[in-house]
Amino acid sequence: MSAIAPAQRPTRLRNNQGILVVAALLVALLIFGAFISDRFRTLSNILNILEQSTGLALVSLGQTLTILTGGIDLSVGSLISLLSTLTSGLIAGKASMVLPVAIGVLLLGLLVGIANGLLIIWLRVHPLIVTLGMGAVLQGIVLLYSLGPAGAVPPGFNYLAYGRLLGVPVGAIVIVVLFLLVGLFLRYARLGRYIYAVGDDEAGARLMGLPRARVLLTVYGFSGFCCGLAAIYLTSRFSVGQPYTGLNYTLASITPVLVGGTLLSGGKGGVLGTLLGVYLISLINNVLNFMDVSTHYQLIAQGLIVIAAVSIYVEKKKRV
Amino acid sequence: MLTLSGISKSFIGVKALSGIDLDVRAGEIHALVGENGAGKSTTIKIAAGVYRPDAGQIVFEGKPVQWTRPAEAKNAGIHVIYQEFVLFPHLTVAENIYLGHERRNRFGFVDHARTRRDAAELLRKLGVEIDPRMPVSELTVADQQMVEISKALVHKVKLLILDEPTAVISGREAELLFARLAALKAEGVAILYVSHRLEEIFQIADRVTVFKDGAHVATKAIGEVTRDRLISMMVGRDLKDIFPPKKPAGAPGKVVLKAQDISVAGRVRNAGIEARAGEITALAGLVGAGRTELAMGIFGGLPTTSGDVWIDSEKVEAMTPAIAIRKGVGFVTEDRKGQGLAMLLDVAANVTAANLSAVTRNGLIDRRRENEIARQEIENYRIVCRGPATAVATMSGGNQQKVIVARWARTSRKVLILDEPTRGVDVGAKTEIYRIMRGLAEQGIAVLMISSELPEVVGMADRVVVMREGVVSGELAGADISEEAIMSLATQHPGAQAPAMEGLPQ
Repeated sequence: MSAIAPAQRPTRLRNNQGILVVAALLVALLIFGAFISDRFRTLSNILNILEQSTGLALVSLGQTLTILTGGIDLSVGSLISLLSTLTSGLIAGKASMVLPVAIGVLLLGLLVGIANGLLIIWLRVHPLIVTLGMGAVLQGIVLLYSLGPAGAVPPGFNYLAYGRLLGVPVGAIVIVVLFLLVGLFLRYARLGRYIYAVGDDEAGARLMGLPRARVLLTVYGFSGFCCGLAAIYLTSRFSVGQPYTGLNYTLASITPVLVGGTLLSGGKGGVLGTLLGVYLISLINNVLNFMDVSTHYQLIAQGLIVIAAVSIYVEKKKRV
Repeated sequence: MLTLSGISKSFIGVKALSGIDLDVRAGEIHALVGENGAGKSTTIKIAAGVYRPDAGQIVFEGKPVQWTRPAEAKNAGIHVIYQEFVLFPHLTVAENIYLGHERRNRFGFVDHARTRRDAAELLRKLGVEIDPRMPVSELTVADQQMVEISKALVHKVKLLILDEPTAVISGREAELLFARLAALKAEGVAILYVSHRLEEIFQIADRVTVFKDGAHVATKAIGEVTRDRLISMMVGRDLKDIFPPKKPAGAPGKVVLKAQDISVAGRVRNAGIEARAGEITALAGLVGAGRTELAMGIFGGLPTTSGDVWIDSEKVEAMTPAIAIRKGVGFVTEDRKGQGLAMLLDVAANVTAANLSAVTRNGLIDRRRENEIARQEIENYRIVCRGPATAVATMSGGNQQKVIVARWARTSRKVLILDEPTRGVDVGAKTEIYRIMRGLAEQGIAVLMISSELPEVVGMADRVVVMREGVVSGELAGADISEEAIMSLATQHPGAQAPAMEGLPQ
C-alpha cells in the first residue's frame, strides 16, 4: 500500500490549472479586442488598462490573503470610501498635509483590518459577518463625516494615478512589485505557509499549535492596509474622495481572486492568479467599452464571472 | 515522563473522567485500553493540552504543568497521532511533515529544496516510498499515517501518543509501525499506545492501563495479565452476561422474509437470504462485502437489477421503503445521525416519526398521545433521559440508538433489520440493545442484524449468513457458529486472522 502507484504524479504548482485558464482567457480576449477595434490594440490602450486596474489590484491583493485563510473581507468597500474621503478631506488642498495624511490613512486602514481580525478571533464569529458588520459601521461613519465629496488635493497629487515612469504607469509598477513581494512572502515565509494551513484545515492548525491568531491579524490587517493604498490611489485618480468611492469594490475585489483559482474555502491559490484575474476583469471592461454598450453591462459581466469562477473551481466532494 | 493524577473532566454535565491516574515512563510502551466511552480519548486530549482538566495534576518531566494550548504541550515534546489525522490536504507531503518546523535557509526563508530532501530522507528511514512532492490528499490512508509518524520524528519528541493507530492500516503496515515504535522506545521516547486490539498490545506493550467508564481500573506489567483478565477488567463483567440466551434449539421459525437472486449494481450479485420469525439472523462479512446494500435492496432503499422478495409468502413487486414499512418491515440504519434521528427534535417526536398516523387525529398530531407512547417506550427500553421532551442530541449514543429501535419496533410487525446496531455505544447500552433485540425476536418478529463485530454475531445470532465480495458465501446455524467459521467464509481463507473486524477483543 505504501508503494506509489504510477498513476499518482505529484502536482507541482498547486494553482497551475487556474492560472493557465485565466492566461488563456486573457489571450483570447486580447485577440477578440483587436478584432473589434483598431484603437484597442494600441500600446496606449494597453497601458491604460494597466493604469485603470491599479485600484482593483490593490484591494484584491489583500482580499486574496483573507480568502486563502478561508475567510473573506466584506468591509473593503466601505473602508475605501472612508479612507478616500478622509484623504482629500484632511489634506484640504494643502501640500504640507499630503504626507502625514497618507501615513495616517494607511495606519487607519491597518488598524481597522486588525480590529476585524481581533473580532473574528475573540468573538469566534465568521469573518463574513464580522466584516459585513464592520463595513456597515464604516459606511455610517463616513456619511456622518461627509455626505458628498470632501476637501481637495493639491496639484501633483494625481501623479500616483496618472504618472508614468519610463512610459509605464506608476501604479502598474507599484502593483507588480507588491504582488511579487506578497507572492514571495507566501512561498518563502513561515507565516505564508501557515496562511495556507489555516485555510486548509483550521481545526488541524489549532491542534498543530500553529499561530492562527497571528495569521488572521496579518491577513485582515494587510487587507485594511491595502484598502488604504487603494483609497489614496483612487483619491489621486478622481482628485477628491467621496462616501461612495469604494462602493463596488467589495464584490469587485473578490472576483479576480476566485477567477484566479483561489478556493473560496481557502487553503489553495495565490496572488499570481489574482493579478491575472485583475487584468482579465479590466480587459473585459475595456472590451465592453469598445463595444459601445452601457457601462452597466460591466457590473452584470462581473456578477456572472464570479458565479462561474466559483462553480468551475469548486472541489468535487471526495467520496468516502 | 508524564504523570496524570486525579484528573477529572466533565462535558456539559457528563462526567468523562473521574479522578484517573496514569504514568508513562521514558523508554516504555504503555498501552491504554478500555471500551468505547472509557475516557481514553479525553485523557489523550488532556495530556496534549487540547482540554483542560477540571481537577487533578499533570506532571511532565518532573515539573507540574498546566497546558493552556496544544502548542505548549507540543513544544514541550508531546506529539499526538490522532485517529483523525492532522494533515493539510492541499499541502504537499514535505510541507506537512515540516509544518511548524519549516526548513529555512540562512536568510530565514523557507527552503523548499531542503524541505523536500529532508522529508524524502525521513520517509526513507521509515521504510516507505512516498513522493514528498505529492499533495497529501492524493495519498492512501496508510501513507497518510506514515506522514503523520514522520511528523513526530521531525520534532524532538519525548512522549509519543498514538490513538488507535492500527484501526486504518493493514497487518504489514502495522508491523512496520511496531518496528518503528520499538526503535523510538530504544531511544528513550515514552510511548502511550491507545488501542482495543489486545493482540498487538501483548506484542508491543511493556505495561497496560485499563480504563472503564472514565475511571482507572488497573495498571499492570504486561506479563502480569492475561488476555481474558484484561477483557473482564475492560468490560467489567463476564462475556456470558452481555448476551441474552439464544432461542432454544428446536423447530425453526416460519420464514417471514425471503429474498432471492438479489443484485445491486456493482455491489451485490444474486444474493439470497431468509429471516425467520422468532429468530435473530445475522448478516456477517467484512466491511464492503455488500451486506448493507443487500439489505437496502430488499427494503427498496437501493435499486435492484434482479431478484424477488417475499414477505409472509406474498411476493412484493417493485419494493419501496414505503411499501416495506406498510408490510411491517423496519430498517434501523447504521448512520443514526445522518439517516435515522432528527437530532434536534425530542424523544417523543422521534419515537413516533415512522408511524405518525397512530398519533394523528383529524390531521393534527396529538401531543398528549405522543408523549404517552414515548413515556411507555422510555420505560420499556430503559432509555435514560429526562422525559419525552428531551432533545435527542443531548443523549448518549446508546440511548439514541434505543430511541431508533423503539421507533421501528412500533411499526415493524414482522421484520426488523438493524445495520450495525451497537456501533459507537458503550457496553452497558450494548447489553440493553441485545436484550431488546432478543425480546423482539421472542415476540415473533424476524430480526435481521448486520454486524461487523464478530463476538456480537456469535453471541446473538441463531443463524448467520456470510457475504463476501457481493455474494453470499455461506450460512451457519446453531453450534456451527464461531468466529473462525465466519471469518473463513468472509475471506475464504480458512484460519485467517480477523484484523479487519472491529469491536470487542477477539
